[in-house]
Amino acid sequence: MAAANLHPSKTTESPVDPRESGTQLRPGLWQTINERYPGSMITKSEFIPLARLAKPLKDSTVCLISSCGVHLKRDRPMEVAHPLGDFSFRRVPSDARQPDLIIHQLKYPHDDADVDINVIFPIERLQDLAAEGVIGGLTRNFFSFIGYNMDPERFEATVAEGIARAVDEEERADVALLAPA
Amino acid sequence: MSVPYLREAVKDGDSEKLIRFVRLHLGDGNENGGRKEIDKSWIEALKTLLHDQEPDRDFIEQTMQKDSSTLALLYFRLHFYFIRNSGEWIHDGSR
Repeated sequence: MAAANLHPSKTTESPVDPRESGTQLRPGLWQTINERYPGSMITKSEFIPLARLAKPLKDSTVCLISSCGVHLKRDRPMEVAHPLGDFSFRRVPSDARQPDLIIHQLKYPHDDADVDINVIFPIERLQDLAAEGVIGGLTRNFFSFIGYNMDPERFEATVAEGIARAVDEEERADVALLAPA
Repeated sequence: MSVPYLREAVKDGDSEKLIRFVRLHLGDGNENGGRKEIDKSWIEALKTLLHDQEPDRDFIEQTMQKDSSTLALLYFRLHFYFIRNSGEWIHDGSR
């Protein structure tokens, strides 16, 4: 659905930004973001189509990937002070529990996630689904990074491709569940 | 602000764009808030030095031998360190 159809009252007041046309972006989002962070909104002209599920979920190994920045307490915290962002990611063992995990973040409130990590990184719910046989199992590791960064090209070459390669070649996942923060 | 935008500002000597970016980063997206935050961290550093505790100058000398990239990130880290010490936290995320 085009953005223009989501908020017709707003779009009648101002024309749809051509950069938002045909997308699901909230009307005006592009301009709002670019007033604060010029150049940070990007588009991609080429898309890799979503892969179809090769086998039923009950037989599939599931991996969780999130931009929430969660990591094991013993791991180095994400670099939240760097003005350009952190271009690394963390492996989170899929058998980790709430007391093992922590979020260090500047850019979004995570008070509720500190109480129950599953609201943003549903690791224990996936453990439940695996135990109940709803899904075939979990990859050994899940993945986490922080979404704030000012260099989309470097981000794609480091974090995105690094995680994609690990999920495919190391973890042999059948399904990747993406959870944005 | 993307890295190409910032590099172009550096190339053009456009300090206004650069300081605006720094203020937005330190002010959690609020330029005026960022200006106050910068002042706040310096005030907190000054207040700390007024405590008369002798600084570890050897540590400082050793640290100052590090590369400029490490020192630049340390500079940002120290900003947030002093902001935390101030007791006033404007950011959405963790202290």
